[in-house]
Amino acid sequence: MRIDPARLNASEQLRRSTRQRRAKMLVWHAIIYAVMISLACVFMLPIFWMASTSLKLPRELMAWPPEWIPSNPQWGNYAEAFGKYPLARYMLNSAILVIANIVGALLSAPVIAYGFARFNFPFKNVLFILMLSMMMVPGHIKLIPLYVLYLRLDLIDTYWPLILPAYFGSPFFIFLMTQFMRTIPRELDDAARIDGAGPWSILYRIIIPLCRPALTVVVVFTFLWTWNDFLEPIIFLRDYDSFPISVGLAFFQGRYSIEWHLFMGATLVSIIPILVVYFFAQRHLIGGLAAIGIKG
Amino acid sequence: MKSAFFKNVLALANLFMLLLVSIGGAAAQDPVTLTWWTTSGRDSPEPAIRNVIAAFEAEHPNIKVDVSIMAEGAYNDLMSTAIAAGEGVPDLAWYWSNNWLPQALDLTDRLDNDPDISRDIFHTEYFNNWVVWNDMVIALPYDIGANFVMYNKDVFDDEGVAYPTQDWTPQDYIEIAKALRNEDKRRWGGDRPRGPFRALWRNMGATNPYSDDSTTVEGYINGPESVAAYTWLWDLVDSGATPTPADLEVLGTEGTGPVDLFIAGRLGMATLNPGSMVSTLEAGVNFGVVPEPRVPGNENWVHGWALRAGIWKNSEHPDEAWEFLKFWNGPPGQRILMEQGLGHFPPIPSLLAEYEYADTEWYQGFLNVLDATQTASWRKDHPCWRGAVIRGVRDAWDLIMLGEIERDEVQATLDAMVEPGQAALDECVPRLGG
Repeated sequence: MRIDPARLNASEQLRRSTRQRRAKMLVWHAIIYAVMISLACVFMLPIFWMASTSLKLPRELMAWPPEWIPSNPQWGNYAEAFGKYPLARYMLNSAILVIANIVGALLSAPVIAYGFARFNFPFKNVLFILMLSMMMVPGHIKLIPLYVLYLRLDLIDTYWPLILPAYFGSPFFIFLMTQFMRTIPRELDDAARIDGAGPWSILYRIIIPLCRPALTVVVVFTFLWTWNDFLEPIIFLRDYDSFPISVGLAFFQGRYSIEWHLFMGATLVSIIPILVVYFFAQRHLIGGLAAIGIKG
Repeated sequence: MKSAFFKNVLALANLFMLLLVSIGGAAAQDPVTLTWWTTSGRDSPEPAIRNVIAAFEAEHPNIKVDVSIMAEGAYNDLMSTAIAAGEGVPDLAWYWSNNWLPQALDLTDRLDNDPDISRDIFHTEYFNNWVVWNDMVIALPYDIGANFVMYNKDVFDDEGVAYPTQDWTPQDYIEIAKALRNEDKRRWGGDRPRGPFRALWRNMGATNPYSDDSTTVEGYINGPESVAAYTWLWDLVDSGATPTPADLEVLGTEGTGPVDLFIAGRLGMATLNPGSMVSTLEAGVNFGVVPEPRVPGNENWVHGWALRAGIWKNSEHPDEAWEFLKFWNGPPGQRILMEQGLGHFPPIPSLLAEYEYADTEWYQGFLNVLDATQTASWRKDHPCWRGAVIRGVRDAWDLIMLGEIERDEVQATLDAMVEPGQAALDECVPRLGG
């Protein structure tokens, strides 16, 4: 059997071009990774500086040249920070508030959104616009009426003012879920109805399982917003031991100075739950937001 | 039979009356619970607050204090919300914002007729300037503060510069700042003042930004003393011996002064406050305290302040609240707070003398500063300075701080501020008063 030299040449050229393409891809990937790693390092700088500051003495905080890695790390700063204020208790309080709010958001937003997305009723559009308009009302405006309301309901200094609103639906989450549900084909509802499913059954067996990306957004955003909320806890809570961590951190700012080294240590520990949640949820979160953006 | 019946009825009635009286008596002995909002932080540790309350409750078994201890940064929002709501304001609270003062109970008669406490025990300047409002005593003073110049002795020794003295001048400040400046160590000699017509301006003779009757800006904001003070600022900025506004924005500490830069030895002198003395002491830095510099012949001024605790005018228990207030702000409470919180400086001179570091040179320097006349003595009767005029003439300050004008342009720049300053004053006086 004789091989055509022309074909041999073509095959060799193909192999060479594939090799070249792979080499190019490799270089391109290396550049992309180098850029991404550099960017990641830049974004990590504040966290690193926070960690570095948390291990310094007060007189080293603004020293020149700055020490990125303290030569004599003060690990005791963490113990001092947690000993000075009940920060562990505050983190537990935040966790309780986060769980209660997530449950509330997951119970309320899908149900209300389901109504807007799947049913027709009088004044539906007006109600939807009214609901949307609530997104545009700054939270500060509602503070005084809410303060009076909860005061008269004798709910001040309890967690109810910080939890109850989640069970009545957040306009942002209702809007988000409504838009997402509208992208789910109605034929699925019809098929389920033929099989004897009622509205609740369709919601919990068909719609909600398909809403996982949007529900992830609801969970992660509720977590972040509740964990970081500062204003409402300071208005509605009184008891020193009941504050969430966001308020607890503020104790490090005194009338005349800030204990930066302790503050940074406490803050670093307080953001760990946020980083963990974001790390595990990021794929769903980004996917969820993208899906809502594209389809909605 | 009949009389027996009446006897029984009378006995029952007596029993009923006795029961009523005993219930009434028991109700009268029920402890009154006061609500009290306070703040905690480095300056007032939470255990010290609770210890004062425990000591008070031990002395007054019929009064309980339900204290809410919150962060400094949280207090303003909460108090503003409660006052705006008109309900839910505690019996006792800090009234450090002037906007809240109309909500405070007038304590004048109580203070003047109470044998247990007298206004004479308090530092006169702080009492008159901070808790007397519209001729009423609306609170009692608590923690006092003042601005003064702290100097880092190690930095001075390092550069071989003599320490400042109590009678130093603004020109001395510039010369010392230049001598302390060290580029290699990224060290500045001193910081910049934070605003015009504070103690330093008055120490240079530029007493008021407008006339005492609040009618005229011309000749005050652009008067010769004012021009001299602004020119001094221009010279200080030009010396390069001070951090720029951008440096201070980045390296300062949240509006409390550049204490961290000072502690790190990167600022030889800084205009700081009593809390900074404690931070510096705890950081192990060797420092001294002098008043802000003064041109000889002028009065000695200080920018001071006091926190004030008051009773809400709608409190249901004003008598009990007064009992607690005079304990908290009086010698018993203040002594506990001072002994258990190093950053607490009571407004009671006899107690200040008992401070743990009372024998130190820096503490004596601090006490000297407190004796000067307070800038608040003019400001409290001229709300339009802070309320409007300062914003109207802010440009002159910024232009100098940013190095945007030449030295010989200072007069013209201030002249140009007369019109906006006068407009701001005219608009403000009908609104806030003269």
